[in-house]
Amino acid sequence: MPGRWFLPRAEMDRLFGALAADGRRIIGPTIADGAVVYDELRGPQDLPMGRTAQTAPGRYRLSETGASRAFDYGVALTAWKRFTHPPLVPLTRSRRDGDLVTIEPVIEAPPKLAFVGVRGCELAALRIQERAMRAGPAGDPDHVARRDASLVVAVECAQAMSTCFCTSMGTGPEVGDGADLVLAELDEGYVVTVGSPAGGAIVEPLALRPALPSEIDRAGEQVAAVRASMGDPVPADGLPERLRAALDHPRWAEVADRCLACANCTLVCPTCFCTSVGVASDLDGIEGTTERRWDSCFSLGFGRVAGDANFRPKVADRYRQWLTHKFSTWWDQFGSSGCVGCGRCIAWCPVGIDVREELAAIAPATAPVGPIPWPASPAGGRAPEARPIVAPARHVTATLQSTEPETADTVTLRLATNDAALLAARPGQFVMVELPAFAAPPISISRIRPDGLDLTIRSAGAATAAMTGLQPGAQIALRGPLGRGWPIEAASCQDIVIVAGGIGLAPLRPLLDAVLADRPRFGAVRLYLGARSPRDRLFVAEINALAGRADLEVAEIVDRAGPEWLGRVGIVTQLFDQATWDGSRVTAFVCGPERMMRATAATLERLGVDSAATWLTLERNMACGVGTCGHCQLGPFFVCRDGPVFSVAELGTAFGREGL
Amino acid sequence: MALPSDRTRADDGSMETSALTALLGDTWFGADLPAGTRARVAALGRLVDLPEGSVVVREGLPCRALGLVVSGRVALRLGLPGGQDRTILTVEAGDVFGWSAVLPPAISTSTGIAVAPSRAILFDGEALRAALVVDCELAAAVYERLLVSVARRLTATRIQLLDLYRPATEPW
Repeated sequence: MPGRWFLPRAEMDRLFGALAADGRRIIGPTIADGAVVYDELRGPQDLPMGRTAQTAPGRYRLSETGASRAFDYGVALTAWKRFTHPPLVPLTRSRRDGDLVTIEPVIEAPPKLAFVGVRGCELAALRIQERAMRAGPAGDPDHVARRDASLVVAVECAQAMSTCFCTSMGTGPEVGDGADLVLAELDEGYVVTVGSPAGGAIVEPLALRPALPSEIDRAGEQVAAVRASMGDPVPADGLPERLRAALDHPRWAEVADRCLACANCTLVCPTCFCTSVGVASDLDGIEGTTERRWDSCFSLGFGRVAGDANFRPKVADRYRQWLTHKFSTWWDQFGSSGCVGCGRCIAWCPVGIDVREELAAIAPATAPVGPIPWPASPAGGRAPEARPIVAPARHVTATLQSTEPETADTVTLRLATNDAALLAARPGQFVMVELPAFAAPPISISRIRPDGLDLTIRSAGAATAAMTGLQPGAQIALRGPLGRGWPIEAASCQDIVIVAGGIGLAPLRPLLDAVLADRPRFGAVRLYLGARSPRDRLFVAEINALAGRADLEVAEIVDRAGPEWLGRVGIVTQLFDQATWDGSRVTAFVCGPERMMRATAATLERLGVDSAATWLTLERNMACGVGTCGHCQLGPFFVCRDGPVFSVAELGTAFGREGL
Repeated sequence: MALPSDRTRADDGSMETSALTALLGDTWFGADLPAGTRARVAALGRLVDLPEGSVVVREGLPCRALGLVVSGRVALRLGLPGGQDRTILTVEAGDVFGWSAVLPPAISTSTGIAVAPSRAILFDGEALRAALVVDCELAAAVYERLLVSVARRLTATRIQLLDLYRPATEPW
């Protein structure tokens, strides 16, 4: 039933009835606590009739209009993501019965909802967030199911708030594609445009009369007036590049002095999707549940990794992450801006930080675009394509065959599994490892066997202590393999240099296995190993055996040692900084603490190794492993999904840059 | 163990200097020296064998010679009470030990022990200091290389101080 129809104001309840008859709960604007919010509506009487909103930086006030129109309030405080990407979603239920472990996904049928009152900018936001949740090897099936179960009744804007800038972001005020129905509100009723067969099925039983040309014209004039009133407050041409070139702008520190890092902006943002996973368990640790909760890149611990390292410790780092992600790196990741210009972040910032003002100061339209910190956008090769089917993250239970103590705090678990995906893991990939009642850390695979995997785990807290304390026969849950591994094929016919620091040897061991299994394919193979002390060396017997091979050069060094150690003492670069081998023939693979990898990469560069042939694996807070939680972002990359293996050339100056 | 006696002092001093000059040219320290300077540096040195366990310098005592390792490995250790010495660096071919010999008061900052059979060129500290005072070209070359070596150690020590491989706590 395509076309345009007219719904008299007094008959709005008929539309509500049709939506309800379709089995849908109706979500729309209503007034609560002095603001318009999106919540369940009993009927048209719950709409904010006769109200409008005045917004300004740090300010939101409702007032009477004296008219009876229902949609003159701009956008509601809360975005629609509350229903498509809820603040709390149960993920798994797990249980341990002796050695047996079961982890079951919590699959809830999504509620069948009708969203009434979706603005043009908000429709774009739904599309943008959905694209992010469908990206990667396994997106967010809960989000996708909820989105697929929703029906959108959009409403054209007849007024712009002072904080609106959808015109600059290209998302409004006109409602774009994707709505099932579009309403344009006139004083006497609504021009109804059918946008989809589902929308047509809703209005068909209403037997509406066709909208008159004059009604259609007035509706068009209204939205055109809104566009004219807004102008173009944030010139978007070249904005992603201008922002990338301004990573060191002093304004980041200035805005950080005002920013409270309260995360209001990300919570009200209709596209922000970052989450964390919380774990709850019974007191004896037998049963556990995991829940996905909204989080924010403004949270202090959002970029934290093991060892109390925090990649974005300052508010300036976190503000820069948010703003550059919204307006710049979102393009790299998902092929669009992450901002739709709804202005919520401006109105709901308690100190009135206006993103338009910050953009104008940091990346003005007149700013020359300098060199960008990372050389190439991963867009196109990575994320933008929306996938119709999203595979849920899948847990596989593996059984511990044996354990091998490596050091005082590190154990290698030899796990048996017949899962084809796990057995097809590539060197350099990782798995999320889960025990009931414990958080699931990402662990690199330290050996890939025909019948299972080895994981070398350092006890660093409750979860890893529980894992390293497991006895043979115990089960453990794995999710993976995840991430991009070492590009062994690119090293064919090349000399191989492997540099490992500390437990960084673990993800390099499968690479070494693969190289040695196909030894004639490669030139010289050199293995340089650093450790904290002699007793912190990993895989000692294996390394000693390798050192005896004629076709492999092995050199070890430790940071500190007592007099009983007659080997080398110093930093790992000392092993090769005077090397005379031809760097142009070398493909290098490096893993260790980031500071050690920076020193290694610099030494390799000085020895002539191409930055495109120097591969390293980064550590970031990889919480979901599939690029949907947002924790591990580094510039345009999701480290868990796009990495963790990157070449130094790919990372550009993002590698080692403080605060990214 | 005292400094080992030299094994290669020949009756014909010019031949020994020639051999040392060539040997020096094979090392990082001497490779890029102008030929004349390299010969003058070599003239101040003597090649010695350092059996495993040889103490080449001793922390807190006069440092009588600058050593350039030709082969093997020398551990530089700092003493701790109770004999719990710590090795803070090992020096291998091309690198130096005993740089304190060049700088008054010429007191060793660590104890150097050959932890593998080693060879080194030893430059008498007194003679070297005297030569560096009168030979500006020599001084520029030697001091620059010593500075590079010490700076490299400083950089390494800074990274070691970070204790990058220390046990970590999990963030989750």
